[in-house]
Amino acid sequence: MIMKKNITFLFLLLLVLASCSKTPDIDNATMLDGDQIYDPSIANPKKYLISDSIVSPSDIQKNTPVIIAAHGYSATTFEWDELRAYADSAKTFYVSQVLLGGHGLTYADFKKATWEDWQSSIITEYRKLDSLGFKKIFLAGSSTGAPLIINMVKSGFFATQSTQPKGIFLVDPIIVSSDKALTMVGLLGPILGFTTVELSNGEKGHWYVYRPQQTLKQLMALINITRIDLQNGIRLPTGTYMKVYKSKTDATADPISALMIYKGMQTSVNGNIDVEMIDSKLHVFTRLEGRADVTAADSATQKRVFKEMELKMKN
Amino acid sequence: MRKLSILFFVSLMFIPSVWSQSTDSYDLGIGVRIQKTEQLYWENGFGADFTSDFLLNRKIHLKLSYISSRMGSAFNTNAIKQDNYLIGADWRFRSEKSLQIFAGFNTGFFHADMEIPRFNVLPHNSMLFSLETGLAYRFKFPVAMNLSLGYNLINGNGVSSPGTLFPVFYEMSIFYYLDLPEKSKIKNLAPSNAPE
Repeated sequence: MIMKKNITFLFLLLLVLASCSKTPDIDNATMLDGDQIYDPSIANPKKYLISDSIVSPSDIQKNTPVIIAAHGYSATTFEWDELRAYADSAKTFYVSQVLLGGHGLTYADFKKATWEDWQSSIITEYRKLDSLGFKKIFLAGSSTGAPLIINMVKSGFFATQSTQPKGIFLVDPIIVSSDKALTMVGLLGPILGFTTVELSNGEKGHWYVYRPQQTLKQLMALINITRIDLQNGIRLPTGTYMKVYKSKTDATADPISALMIYKGMQTSVNGNIDVEMIDSKLHVFTRLEGRADVTAADSATQKRVFKEMELKMKN
Repeated sequence: MRKLSILFFVSLMFIPSVWSQSTDSYDLGIGVRIQKTEQLYWENGFGADFTSDFLLNRKIHLKLSYISSRMGSAFNTNAIKQDNYLIGADWRFRSEKSLQIFAGFNTGFFHADMEIPRFNVLPHNSMLFSLETGLAYRFKFPVAMNLSLGYNLINGNGVSSPGTLFPVFYEMSIFYYLDLPEKSKIKNLAPSNAPE
């Protein structure tokens, strides 16, 4: 009997150890996780970062709205390419697409980054734009980009800058994950090692296929901190506008996240922020490129929201 | 929602009616339930615990409770106000001992208060079904304390069930056992002297 128990224990121990040593099977030729495909903003930052492309802004440029667009967990600058294309066409505002720290490189780089590392590129770009004299700085955060920006508000970062953000747009923010297994990442993470996501052909090379458990823990830590901060209340900087756009059905960022932000954020004069529940089933409905199942309604919603953001930045 | 609340409180009357018809001895404890959901809220409230000789010689305990974030994380904060109406049953191992191990299930109804009409489009009601296991300790005075770990088999997915219905929870209950009339006085409430 004791022998049988010992064998069972050893089997379980081996199973756990074997799981811990798992490494993903990375295809370097096709996966962002590998060592051949990188986010294009690394090689060509001038195309993506306004602080790199406009190093001596004129007065007109300083007064042109610039929006720092932060993508989500495990994604890349690709997520905001369509907003940049819209801005290039509209010519009324600039888009500065930041690549979150630890992202866009190899699986190993992604694995070792903390959520503070992810956030650092948004902070760096804001500081640079502020020091260059840009007067109308906006921020846009999709999915995990949203709690990273909310945390910047909560931490008092903007109070240390000479220019307060004029507005913040959050698209499908994640405060609660739709997949509740994430809440058990502390227990299951070391056993699983990593999780895998299915990407469409158009998404391949722009998202990590493998999500190391260390990064899932970072994600859980970030959204839990943000949820508690919202629970206790966060006040926006003076004059900063905020709007949340949230898909009513979202298998990644639970739509309840929108209510948590609405209840938790206040304007500087104790007003409510704006929230719009979008009739969509897409996570980050503003990104349509690379998706296999885009409808005419999805395209119309994207255009309408981009137009609304543009008008808000003009005012 | 209102109908379910009425149903829940009507069911509270079930326990007294059971013991009034029974000649067996029984225990009825009332008390508080404190629950922490992993990565979410504190939800506290009150509950009752009932057992009797006719329930397989006290190996089965029937439970009933109401817990809410209103009495936990949502008290004076922006947390979402949510209510859990629960009934359940446990199987007690070592039921004659002061330290017991239990395993059982809960079912019931969950409601999250969206507060603002535009958010009513989100799922905010759900049936509850959870498994729970833990330890129960019965003191020499008429008090028992339960510590347990539970798992909600129905939990939110961002599509069809409430987003703040999370899977794993930890729970502590403290029950005071009522001093009941002679006909059905509490039996074996004090811990047994038998070695454990």
